[in-house]
Amino acid sequence: MNTMETLARLRYRYVPDHVVGEVLSKRWADNAIPFLALIVALATFGALNPGMFSHAGLRDLVAQTAEFGLMAIALTVVMISGGIDLSIGSIFALCVLATLAALNVYNLPLAAALLLCLAVGAGCGALNGLLIGYLRLRAFLTTLVTLILFRSVYDIVLPDLATQIVVGNSDSAAWASLGSGSLLGLPYALLVAALLALAWHVLLSRSRPGWHLAAVGGARRSAHNAGIPVKRVVFLAYVCSGLLCAVAALLYAARLGSIGSDTGVGTEISVLTAVVLGGTTLGGGRGSVAKALMGSIIVLVLSNGMLQMGLVGSTSVMILGVVLLAAAWLDTRWAKNRHKLITSTYVSPAYLEMPPCPATDEGSGSVYTPNDRLHDVQVIGLGQVEGPEDVLLDRDDNLYCGSRHGDVLRFFAPDYQRHEVYAHIGGYPLGMNFDREGNLVTCVGGMGLYMVTPQRQVVKLTDETQRTRFSVIDDSRIRLADDLDIAPDGRIFFSEATVRYNTHDWSSDMLEGRGNGRIICYDPRDRSTRTVLSHRVFPNGIVCLPDGESLLFAETWVGRIHRFWFDGPQKGRVQAVLDNLPGYPDNINRASDGNFWVAMVGMRGPAIDLSLSMPGFRREMTRRVAAANWLLPNLNIGCIVKFTAEGQVLESIWDRSGINHPSITSVKEHKGHLYLGGIFNNRIGRWRIPGADPQWTGPASYWGDRP
Amino acid sequence: MMGVLRDRLDAFLGRGRFSTAVPVMDGPLQPNQHLERAAVLASAPALDNLVALRDGLYCSSGQQLMRIRAGTAEAVASYGVQISCMASDGGEGLAVGLARSGIVLRGGPHDGRAFAGLGNQPLNCPTAALFLDPDTLLVANGSAQHGPEQWQHDLMTHGCSGSVWKIKLATGHAELLAQDLAYPYGLALSPAGEILVSEAWRHRIVALDANKPAYPPRAVLQDLPGYPARLVAASGGAGVGVNGDAIGGGSGGGYWLAIFAPRNQLVEFVLQQDAYRQRMVASIEPRFWIAPALSSWSSFREPVQGGAIKQMGQLKPWAPSRSYGLVVRLGSDLSPISSWHSRADGRMHGVTSLCEYQGQLVLGAKGPGHALGLDLDGEQAR
Repeated sequence: MNTMETLARLRYRYVPDHVVGEVLSKRWADNAIPFLALIVALATFGALNPGMFSHAGLRDLVAQTAEFGLMAIALTVVMISGGIDLSIGSIFALCVLATLAALNVYNLPLAAALLLCLAVGAGCGALNGLLIGYLRLRAFLTTLVTLILFRSVYDIVLPDLATQIVVGNSDSAAWASLGSGSLLGLPYALLVAALLALAWHVLLSRSRPGWHLAAVGGARRSAHNAGIPVKRVVFLAYVCSGLLCAVAALLYAARLGSIGSDTGVGTEISVLTAVVLGGTTLGGGRGSVAKALMGSIIVLVLSNGMLQMGLVGSTSVMILGVVLLAAAWLDTRWAKNRHKLITSTYVSPAYLEMPPCPATDEGSGSVYTPNDRLHDVQVIGLGQVEGPEDVLLDRDDNLYCGSRHGDVLRFFAPDYQRHEVYAHIGGYPLGMNFDREGNLVTCVGGMGLYMVTPQRQVVKLTDETQRTRFSVIDDSRIRLADDLDIAPDGRIFFSEATVRYNTHDWSSDMLEGRGNGRIICYDPRDRSTRTVLSHRVFPNGIVCLPDGESLLFAETWVGRIHRFWFDGPQKGRVQAVLDNLPGYPDNINRASDGNFWVAMVGMRGPAIDLSLSMPGFRREMTRRVAAANWLLPNLNIGCIVKFTAEGQVLESIWDRSGINHPSITSVKEHKGHLYLGGIFNNRIGRWRIPGADPQWTGPASYWGDRP
Repeated sequence: MMGVLRDRLDAFLGRGRFSTAVPVMDGPLQPNQHLERAAVLASAPALDNLVALRDGLYCSSGQQLMRIRAGTAEAVASYGVQISCMASDGGEGLAVGLARSGIVLRGGPHDGRAFAGLGNQPLNCPTAALFLDPDTLLVANGSAQHGPEQWQHDLMTHGCSGSVWKIKLATGHAELLAQDLAYPYGLALSPAGEILVSEAWRHRIVALDANKPAYPPRAVLQDLPGYPARLVAASGGAGVGVNGDAIGGGSGGGYWLAIFAPRNQLVEFVLQQDAYRQRMVASIEPRFWIAPALSSWSSFREPVQGGAIKQMGQLKPWAPSRSYGLVVRLGSDLSPISSWHSRADGRMHGVTSLCEYQGQLVLGAKGPGHALGLDLDGEQAR
């Protein structure tokens, strides 16, 4: 049994299960399957045709990839917008015809020929865009018709010019070198295509127009509601598609210099195969340049390979068709199940061995013996506040708290009967404290660190820190800032409970029990933000010690409180203060006698403690059981503990039945009373502390008496 | 071979036998809070085994036999061990099942007789008894391994060693009618002479022939949303609908079924997780197990599920819980007709026993230890 335990512990310590879900949740994870297909295709046909990787073979492949890839990008752009463009083959042919006619027949200057070609492409695309974007015709039918229309135009014009095109030639040296020249061993055509591909990659993945395009394709109505000009975006997608076809046509014309009646015939099917094979969704909203290029190479390798193996045209077209069908089937399965796959792999519990829980039984004589001392609590704002995670009192005894509606509320002293919205922030205000100037600094779940000035201006202090090296998910954005405290020199230390989940998914993080959280320091002097301590299990409450170089922080799900030195000779040291609490510590705050209050958000139970050392059980549970039925810590009990900085527990104060104050998340002392907040509660509690200093206030303790 | 493969696949995908889905309470089982509003007739710790004798209403509280009179329960006798079932012969005779000690008879023609075993095995978990006639007693032995106080152990170790016996009281001859049952917990006689047995861990009611053994028994009501306890034939058919309408009218027949704990997704899941379940059984006190219970929320060390965390100071009535109060009225064809509930935020949980007495249906909520009265004339249930 012990060896098994050790093995399990080692396995969960060193196998990074959580990376699987993180990788899958990346947008680029979609590319894994097409990438594998590409490798397989290259290996198979490379083995069958030794000539393929020869210099000539590669050169041929590269030249084709440039043209074919551009057309694949053209189709990708349209498909991301939720449409389809079957006419690209015909547009391509028309553009080739226009270029060669301009150069070989009418001997126009190169620039004019290029412009003419682009204009033809853009014009054809604009016709499609007009019909589909503005007149709202079906993309499939419309482009099927324009495919025939453009092809007819081509067929009508071609016989008149064909001979002259073949006989004549351009005297432009630049044109000749575009066809056959190279730079650093790379053909110009490839460079042009690569440059365009790069530009489109940036445009699609990192620019506003690209996001608009994906938004329109992903959810047309939502895009409209979000203020995106849907019709114009669709129109422009087709114009861009036409332009890209025109560029492809230019490269083709420069490479071959001639034209035939079958130029561009059937291209749309192979390009469509390439795009779908690359992983661009037929339904719109998802696709990328990389996918288009991967698909293109697969299709080219496939068709070239089949050609070299001596398969006749119709057979290879049939095989391509079968590949297209298979890719389309895979696409729908993937789009449907991708989300399921992520949710079933993202939560990856870690191994946690909890020490035996301290005694909490009646009559055990333990300092943690439950009692009903909170029985006579005075209730403030019952039903008027929702979720006051933290509470705060100013020098004039007014009471502040956050609410899940995104407000900071203020209850007026002395009776706290009236209240007002002090400031609207928009995110969920959690930990709060005053700085030296009287600004109310607050951690806002989902938003970062904010402050409300005495003039009630809401100011963002920070919402970003440096990204952890080698992290898969981008953890630079602050997701769940939880509690804060301010050092004597003005630096703000705050905890981010987890970088893997949002506020409302705290239960997933609990079941994971992994060191997903960190402590971040914001320095108002140079407005810098940096992570000072990471890989902590749900770091929650924070309180700075008066020595100016250390702080106490709570790791909620492991029931521990640590002291961390952020300055001074012991800088960087972390020392346990309380390493085995009977519950889950939340916010920590100063007490008037120099000790500290810690609110317990819930208490430990044997069933959940046991599950912490069985990560496989917890992972199965998150997969098999609905979230409302998950085994979670008992948060239906209220407990407050007072302890010294040396780690001695002085007393515990309970609401044993959890009637007024289950899940206490914060306690603040003020003039002889404790004020209690709870993240799941609809009231604030005020409880008289026997024998406490009736003059002590938080602001005075931190910043001295008012000047 | 195929079966093994399919089992492995089902276990991996969490379906079939490995599904954690539980039946929803809907239709005639739609939740209400009628049990919360029922009148409390008497209270005693762990009140159980309600039974009507000619001279009054009796119940058990731990080791004590109690008589309910004028709103209080007074001790009549004490047996030294926990009383786990009782049955009346309709007159003076009372059969009393004792934990790990068999059955003794009190009053009536067989006063003083005791049966510590059945055939060659001990009767260690008498969960239900029923007189077929004053000389013939049916007894359900819930488990061959566990006593009645260890019912959670029996469930969490997949116990299915229960049996039903017919005892001739005069001779002591015991006949086995069914075995390998998963905790038989209630016995009733159908008008056709069949014996109906509520089989708790399989959430169903099965029918046995009173005269010859039946293997396996025939299921007559399946997929109950909870673990059934005592089953009692209803008199006259004066059932009370959820809206207070009398149900059944004069057509008669039907049964009352007490369901003592709800099925719960997490418990179903834990039942499949052998490693966790074994460690839990070995190292944790039963009252803190992830297992059904007769009452909840009495200690913060009990397991809590996500939906049961108080929000805005409220425990939601739909919260997943380990205990629940539920009494179901079954028609003569055993289909549920109406039901009386105490939901997760209520207190009248763990109804194990039922008894019709003086125009009332009296329920024993073992969790809080209350006997509750429901009027059968249709006034009360509103």
